[in-house]
Amino acid sequence: MNKLIYGLILVVIGALVGIYLPWYAMGVAFGLIAFALNMPLKSSFLIGFMAGYLLWIFSALWLDMQHPSTLPGRMAQVFPLKGNVFALFMLTGVLGGLFSGIWTWAGARLRQNK
Amino acid sequence: MKIIKSAFPLVIALFLTYAMNQSWGTIPPIGKIFSPFHGFWMNAESPESGEPTEETLQIAGLHQPVQVVYDEMGVPHVFAQDDHDLYLAQGYLTAKDRLWQMEFQTHFAGGRISEIVGEKGMASDQFQRRMGSVYGAEKSFEGMQQDPAAKMALEAYSAGVNAYIGSLSDRQLPLEYKLLNYRPEPWTPIKSALFLKNMSFVLASGTDDLKMTNILRKYGREVAEDLFPNYPFQESPIIPVGSPVDFKPVPIPAAPADFTGLGSSMTTPEKDPNIGSNNWAVSGNKTVSGLPILANDPHLTLSLPSIWYQMQLVAPGVNVYGSTMPGTPNVIIGFNKNVAWGVTNVGSDVLDWYQVKFKDASKQEYWHDGKWKKTTMRIEKFQIKGKKDMVDTIFFTHHGPVVYLSHEKPFRSNIPVGHALRWIAHEKSQELTTFYQLNRAKNYEDYKKALTFYSAPAQNFVFASNEGDIALWVNGKFPLKSKLQGKYLLDGTDAAADWQGFIPQAHNPHVKNPVRGFVSSANQFSTDPSYPYYLGWQYAPSERGRRINERLAVMEKITMDSLRGLQNDNFNIRARELLPLLFAQVKSPNAAQSKALAALKSWNLVNSPESVGATIFENWVLTLQSCLWDDEFSEDEKVPMSRPAMDRTIQLIKSEPAARWWDDTKTPVKESMSDIVMKSLQANLDSLVKHHGPQGPEWAWYKIKQTGVRHLIPGMDALSRLNIPIGGGGTIVNATTTRTGPSWRLVVELSKEGKPRAYGVYPGGQSGNPGSSHYDDLIDTWAKGELKPLLYLESPDQKSNRLRKKITLSK
Repeated sequence: MNKLIYGLILVVIGALVGIYLPWYAMGVAFGLIAFALNMPLKSSFLIGFMAGYLLWIFSALWLDMQHPSTLPGRMAQVFPLKGNVFALFMLTGVLGGLFSGIWTWAGARLRQNK
Repeated sequence: MKIIKSAFPLVIALFLTYAMNQSWGTIPPIGKIFSPFHGFWMNAESPESGEPTEETLQIAGLHQPVQVVYDEMGVPHVFAQDDHDLYLAQGYLTAKDRLWQMEFQTHFAGGRISEIVGEKGMASDQFQRRMGSVYGAEKSFEGMQQDPAAKMALEAYSAGVNAYIGSLSDRQLPLEYKLLNYRPEPWTPIKSALFLKNMSFVLASGTDDLKMTNILRKYGREVAEDLFPNYPFQESPIIPVGSPVDFKPVPIPAAPADFTGLGSSMTTPEKDPNIGSNNWAVSGNKTVSGLPILANDPHLTLSLPSIWYQMQLVAPGVNVYGSTMPGTPNVIIGFNKNVAWGVTNVGSDVLDWYQVKFKDASKQEYWHDGKWKKTTMRIEKFQIKGKKDMVDTIFFTHHGPVVYLSHEKPFRSNIPVGHALRWIAHEKSQELTTFYQLNRAKNYEDYKKALTFYSAPAQNFVFASNEGDIALWVNGKFPLKSKLQGKYLLDGTDAAADWQGFIPQAHNPHVKNPVRGFVSSANQFSTDPSYPYYLGWQYAPSERGRRINERLAVMEKITMDSLRGLQNDNFNIRARELLPLLFAQVKSPNAAQSKALAALKSWNLVNSPESVGATIFENWVLTLQSCLWDDEFSEDEKVPMSRPAMDRTIQLIKSEPAARWWDDTKTPVKESMSDIVMKSLQANLDSLVKHHGPQGPEWAWYKIKQTGVRHLIPGMDALSRLNIPIGGGGTIVNATTTRTGPSWRLVVELSKEGKPRAYGVYPGGQSGNPGSSHYDDLIDTWAKGELKPLLYLESPDQKSNRLRKKITLSK
């Protein structure tokens, strides 16, 4: 299967799991999908990372557009980003990406038990 | 082997998940909080706009549907069909906006902060419990249960809070729970009692007894009484001098034998001298409308979320608007169709220390009235986050808890060790009944009756009615003491030193419709010395009270706006008195001193935000006090002493230029009054230059004062509003200091037709959510000295272009 299709599956499942289950369920789900679909090991981390990154950053952007508020600016000071909201979005994406990437890689690696 | 190798990434993933789901010190759980489906991103709320919205919420336990309309400030106007539903809705709606704050404040009051923040909260928690906060709340809860109406309100309120907590999923939790990584626990009625008892902690836990005993031990009684007089040199007491006394005093107990005691190097929390308040009511013959106008601004620590939450509560028999305190039912300061009321704190001495003589190290018995008597023990359990639980034993004599044993280190330096605490906050009480009845009061008689239920913290209850009455009762439960009893530490073995009952409530200082046409209070002395009972020797400085009284005495044709002006009065009467005295002592000033003196001479004596004169003056008062008194009263930090009040210093300058106190005992030469004045002027300029550069616009008063409204989590600057451009000061009517200030300003004009008009503001916003536009939207209005019109509705269907949202709560 195409990397893009893998990524798309992860994003859709990730969103559904995010809405209904605890936050870490997304990682577990990505691992299970990578295992079930026998994802290519080499690109598994990148696929997972991009899916998690895009899902989190676009969800955050969407929420911020729906509910414009001073909260992101404040949170960019609570976390020491000097009030830089752009950096806060980036950090959100990178954290989602790392978490997803590692789980996707773990699922793929487990399947390719050599 | 292969399995282990291929499972390795899984181990990393699991570890990462664990790490991102945990708090690390003050770092929140990074995965949970950044997840846009669960974390802080979910807490953003957009400002309401356009057409009012409508929604219905299901709440178990309601008898009938409750209509709620929100105005543009975010104030809920609640229309219920019985009292039970009214208080249930109050609990639910307050929690909806302020849940985290309600729980955090009661955790603090109950000594449970270490459950949230771990071991670093432990010293504060232990102090709270040793002072008997939980014990006092249990006693007061007993009292509350005795009035069926108060009990019902308390239980319904609690059910409402729990209905809200029960409706919350993890992702809907208030932001602070996410930051500190915990969940709310169920609310219980005793938490309301803890909250109310904590007000005694905030307002009536000041104690200088140890410091005064240390002075007594060093300088003797004559000096102690001379420098720490029992009535100020200048005063304008709350009850006008010469007011008639309408009661026959009960006999005053005999004074106990003089007792010097051991003193100690350790001592209770010092009263923050900036926590005070103003209130007044003017009678109809001084107002344009011909009806009374009432004004109140309680000064408290400025915090976010704000200590106050505005509400209108309507049910059969009640239609009241005002500020509530999240955590307790009813309106605390407000008005209804017929009456308005407000409060300021009474600085009476309701906390005393008794030196305890234990029989032996087991502390099972103590000596009192010629006999060994049994102590009682109370076990307090602490659950500390990340640590094992801890158990603490508190010993009680009949006076109260022994807060710290002789070998222990107190949480604050002014708490004596080895002393039992006798404190009004430990008495059974019924404050809720007072507020329940005030909310429904129709006239002076109802107000008077409501006050009979009130114990602590004692308040100056100002009152006005649309029948034209104005009144003020200095009200609370006051121990019946001999003169000066409890100014110094007391002898715990002497039965004559015990509190001998209480002043009958009807004898509390009060005044109704005085000839002068107004009543007022600003935490100053309740009465002049002719009052038959002893209430305390030390109150807030008299300046605010004197300024308010001199203004109200000459103001005519008063309107709500002119009283708003008085609330924001920045005139410095201390400077008016003191500066000419200081100028007379100036000799051969250097260039920098001359420049500062020129600024002071051209200053209009108003502590306006931009004023440089105000900065030089206020800082000079501090350095003068320090240069004059620190050599004698701040020599040894292990023997803490009070410093004579500014009022006494002014008296010393005026009439005792040769007093021994002028000499700085730390230098070989003998200083004169003039030397000390010049020395303090130089110290003043040195400190200003050091921190703010040379004299210029950087010395603007607001830049030096740096008023901030801070989030309840210490150090959480991102959720605070700092450096607010506002004038005022501790002894100014606009009593805004660095961390304290008018926490709610209210002006109400009553009306014969039952249509009161009111204005109000507090430095915060209705929502406790930092992601809401209502989090801090009232601060700018407050800082400008403006008020918002308060919307007083007759029915939920009343038309107003200020309504934004309608919620129906249904069972």
